[in-house]
Amino acid sequence: MKKRLLVLVLVLVLAFSGIVQAQDTYTIGVSNSFVGSEWRTQMIKQIEDAAAEIEELYGITIDLVIESTDTDVSGQVQQIQNLLNRGVDAIIVNPGDQTGLNLAIEEATDEGVVVIAVDQEIGAAGAINVVIDQKEWAMISAEWLAEQLGGEGSIVLIEGFVGHPANEARMAGVEEVLAEYPGIEVIGRESGMWDQATGQQVMSDFLASLTGIDGVWTQDGMASGVMTAIMDAGLENPPIATGEARASFLQMWEETLMENPDFTTIGVVNPPGIGASGLRVAIELLRGAEINEEAFSGPFGNTLYVPIPYSVTNENLQEVYDAQNIGEAPASFTLDGIITQEGAIKLIAGEELTEMDVTPDVGEPEVEGMDMGTEEAEESSGS
Amino acid sequence: MNQANFRRLLARNSYLFALLLLIVVVLINYSRQDNLFDPSVLNRNIRVFLPLAILAVGQAIVIIGGGIDLSVGAMVSLCNALLVTWITPETAGGDILLAIGLVALVGMAAGLLNGIAVAYLRLQPIVTTYATSFIFAGLALTILPRPGGQLPSDMTGLYRRLIEVEAFANIPIIQDISILREIPPAFIVIAIILLLWAFLRQTRLVQYIYASGDNAEAAYTTGIPVQRIRLGTYVISGFFAAMAALALTMSLGSGSPTSGDAMTLDSIVAVVLGGTRLRGGQGGIAGAMMGVVILGVIRNIISFYDVPTWSQTLVDALIILIALAGPGFVRYVSDLIRRYRLQGGRAA
Repeated sequence: MKKRLLVLVLVLVLAFSGIVQAQDTYTIGVSNSFVGSEWRTQMIKQIEDAAAEIEELYGITIDLVIESTDTDVSGQVQQIQNLLNRGVDAIIVNPGDQTGLNLAIEEATDEGVVVIAVDQEIGAAGAINVVIDQKEWAMISAEWLAEQLGGEGSIVLIEGFVGHPANEARMAGVEEVLAEYPGIEVIGRESGMWDQATGQQVMSDFLASLTGIDGVWTQDGMASGVMTAIMDAGLENPPIATGEARASFLQMWEETLMENPDFTTIGVVNPPGIGASGLRVAIELLRGAEINEEAFSGPFGNTLYVPIPYSVTNENLQEVYDAQNIGEAPASFTLDGIITQEGAIKLIAGEELTEMDVTPDVGEPEVEGMDMGTEEAEESSGS
Repeated sequence: MNQANFRRLLARNSYLFALLLLIVVVLINYSRQDNLFDPSVLNRNIRVFLPLAILAVGQAIVIIGGGIDLSVGAMVSLCNALLVTWITPETAGGDILLAIGLVALVGMAAGLLNGIAVAYLRLQPIVTTYATSFIFAGLALTILPRPGGQLPSDMTGLYRRLIEVEAFANIPIIQDISILREIPPAFIVIAIILLLWAFLRQTRLVQYIYASGDNAEAAYTTGIPVQRIRLGTYVISGFFAAMAALALTMSLGSGSPTSGDAMTLDSIVAVVLGGTRLRGGQGGIAGAMMGVVILGVIRNIISFYDVPTWSQTLVDALIILIALAGPGFVRYVSDLIRRYRLQGGRAA
């Protein structure tokens, strides 16, 4: 009897240690220095969801250590150092400064930590940027605006944080497009601080102080405010403005179209899921994937560009609206796109990504619910 | 009796509560992070805290003198922008020192502007320095519109790397204390500031600052040049802002036109945490520097205690609020106890 018990225990111990050995554990740090935006909230939520999915897919354990507080460059340096002190294997960082984090990040990569900068490109040695091409992102809507205006007219630009990496790349794109349209004159340019209220105020000020504004180019995070200001002004010929791919904006858009079928705008998806895409790349690298040096591009030669998911215009508004159940979605929901795990493998190998490699993630975007993520994970692990 | 003694002790050593708090938060941090006292970890932490610590010293001096300086953060941004514009990886040693000297002058000139407006034009310090902060922030943006610049790696290394004291390597006992063999450079800066203050504390100049902040009219009638003293505190604050910018620039290795903006309020919170009351005439700089370390360690605690993502900001703010309310709460409770005893005495 005793012997049998001993054997049983032994078998159990062996089995258990076998399981433990098979289950690799990765500690992944996340550093975010700006919490005042729905976009960042969704970014972090998508990272949490993707981690659960990857755990199921590969049978590994992912310990997420998330540092997310409103802070300045020094504060984000401290975040990164704390993650290092905790012995993380990889850091996903949304850098709040183009150069200020470089020394801290280089310290991490020197210690062999995989550092993935998402959303914005930085030049820190050893870091890998996983971003959409912010310049191209801005060029899509700038090109659209220029065509809507027939290449003629006066426009105003309402930009994000001046000096912020993403804003700089976007404005460079806008300038490049406008250089091809000499008939378009920029008569006002100001920062809306990536904030709806500020964007609304800046637009109101423009409408009050400038006459003959034909077009408005702005970015996501401010476009709803800008559009509200334009509508509130009640002009006979309101300027054509670019919009954003967020639920609140699409809801306003749909309502406006019912009253005024001539209304037109554009929302180019800037995916918050880029953080989750970065996580997928980090996991592949930790699991031993070799990066193809030719896959790199970008201003610092260390960027893996994730394709821009899609754009919303009058042509596909209804389709997107129905497919993603926008009417029911919380106002803060941003249309998204996350690369699949196969997409991450392709990205690292330098292969072209197709539409199939980017999932729109039509999930319920509540912060609490992790249901969608695990359901998807079960599907993928089953297949 | 004991209570009265305790109160007197607190009044004379305003930093005592901060010191207690510092010990508590460091212990809480240490309980989850056992490598906290490793020289390299300590160095990483303290070199991030130092810029704000230097800034808080200047802020404390202004506040002790009866004013407040809301432009210090913008001054840091301005000086940071100037430093990375004037210093490139190719700049020679002599020119680097020249640039640092010039930046110190810029900081003092900015402080002079504040000082003249507050002391001689008699404008409200809060409003004035808030307004001038936009001048400095605007200048920073003009000088360095985009983040960038790079400092020579020797210069950042000097600030970021531990100083190895070889002389201690063979002395028994000391050679076992790793922090004495490898000293974070920031510790040396803090030690110099504290020694300098201990020395200046005895001088008439600093006594005048306390007197002007405590009761400007009384100070004036006893012949203290209150206006010049006030002016002086703002110039000192400007100088410390320039030095904070130097530390920040050496810590980050690059510049950004908004790098210091968020530091203004933190510097004031640190001063108050350090036991200096905003009405002036009391307090010190040691407490202010402890306040900075407390603020930083609280962030470490949040990180190491796995506070859920969505409540990190809330928890951070709540701990700071409790820390700020601490001395007031202690005073309130001791008042209650005293009143209860008095009543008890009368009844008996």
